[in-house]
Amino acid sequence: MKGFFKTGLILMTYCAVAGLGLGLVYSITKDRITSAEFKNKTQAVEHVLKDENGSYLVPISEIENTVFNTKSTDEILYETDKGKVLSPVYVFEVSNQKIYVVTGSSIGFGGPVVTVASFVEDNKGISLHSIKVIEYSQETPGLGAKIADSSIQKRFYPLDSTVLENGVNVDKDVGSPDLPPDEAKKNGIVKVSDVMTGATITPRAVVNSINTMYEYLVKRMGGSEQ
Amino acid sequence: MSSLKEFSKGFFKENPTYVQVLGMCPTLAVTTSALNGLGMGLATTAVLTMSNIVISAIRKAVPKNIRIPIFITVIASFVTIVDMLMHAFTYDLWKTLGLFIPLIVVNCLIMGRAEAFASRNSIGRSMLDGLGMGLGFTGSLVLLGSVRELLGSGTVFGLELWGKKFNIFLMILPPGAYMTLGLLAALFAYIGITRKKRGGSK
Repeated sequence: MKGFFKTGLILMTYCAVAGLGLGLVYSITKDRITSAEFKNKTQAVEHVLKDENGSYLVPISEIENTVFNTKSTDEILYETDKGKVLSPVYVFEVSNQKIYVVTGSSIGFGGPVVTVASFVEDNKGISLHSIKVIEYSQETPGLGAKIADSSIQKRFYPLDSTVLENGVNVDKDVGSPDLPPDEAKKNGIVKVSDVMTGATITPRAVVNSINTMYEYLVKRMGGSEQ
Repeated sequence: MSSLKEFSKGFFKENPTYVQVLGMCPTLAVTTSALNGLGMGLATTAVLTMSNIVISAIRKAVPKNIRIPIFITVIASFVTIVDMLMHAFTYDLWKTLGLFIPLIVVNCLIMGRAEAFASRNSIGRSMLDGLGMGLGFTGSLVLLGSVRELLGSGTVFGLELWGKKFNIFLMILPPGAYMTLGLLAALFAYIGITRKKRGGSK
């Protein structure tokens, strides 16, 4: 009986020392971790607010302020069988436009594929400005994971409001008419079969997230119907 | 054994990956690129060296029957520390390696060295052993990662050698890991045998 207490006590001492050390390192790295996470988040938001010439739709300082002040709760704001919209949604107001930065997720080949997208709302409706796929770690390297390539992501945007209204599709799902990428966009088709041969599921997940995010904006944010 | 040999045995003669075949899980999973291999290798080296030092320092104060839980506690603490430090300072690498950092805890290379070496040798020698084995492991991962990255994506450490002109996707996928590992292990065995023969005929 005495032996049990002794070994228990020794084990407890070691664990206590280890715990103390971990607590120390945690308190040292805590601020750095928060700022690294914050930087990562802002980077994605800044990326989707950039236009082709590299200038921002919204001033950088405003982006940082908004990201900093919007509470991130990681909850699901909207869900359909195709995808989810995750919190937070950032809203920017510039002259007579409203700009939304939304995070959407849909199931890809091996797990969730998360996309950050920026939508611009003006008197014509809501249009898709830009996207960035931020989570694709479960996709197959060399196939689905090619979605990380920014030249491939460019195939998904910009899309105007009439196209979004009717729903966007991957070219393979609509019988892949052989159109150049920019022509295809006007018909609500994302052409990727030439650059992502053999991987339809991942771009389909991105397209599903875009559709879900648009639906969310129309329904919850009182978008184009207003 | 001299201390230099203690350090260098991990590079070739007792190479953890190709000769001892330890720590296969991260070896196969993260070596899709040379950089991932390097990051994983260095993280493991840090944990291995620190845990070897601490385990060697406390080896006389550890009762024999509960040594495994105590070793695990030490190793897990260092893994958590490395995990937090990488999260704070090398965010992108941390994100890529993902789940495999916490899994260093169960890397049998670290537990193996703790049990077989650090718990029986002095602090200095254990440190050299940990450092050597860790760097040997890092070297193996970088070698494996470079071969796979070159054949799969045409780059090494992100530097384009022939780019997209000749890519075998298979090399980045799990079968590519097994094939490359098998061929490299065979190469190491071949060199080892030739060396021994040459040593014997002298």
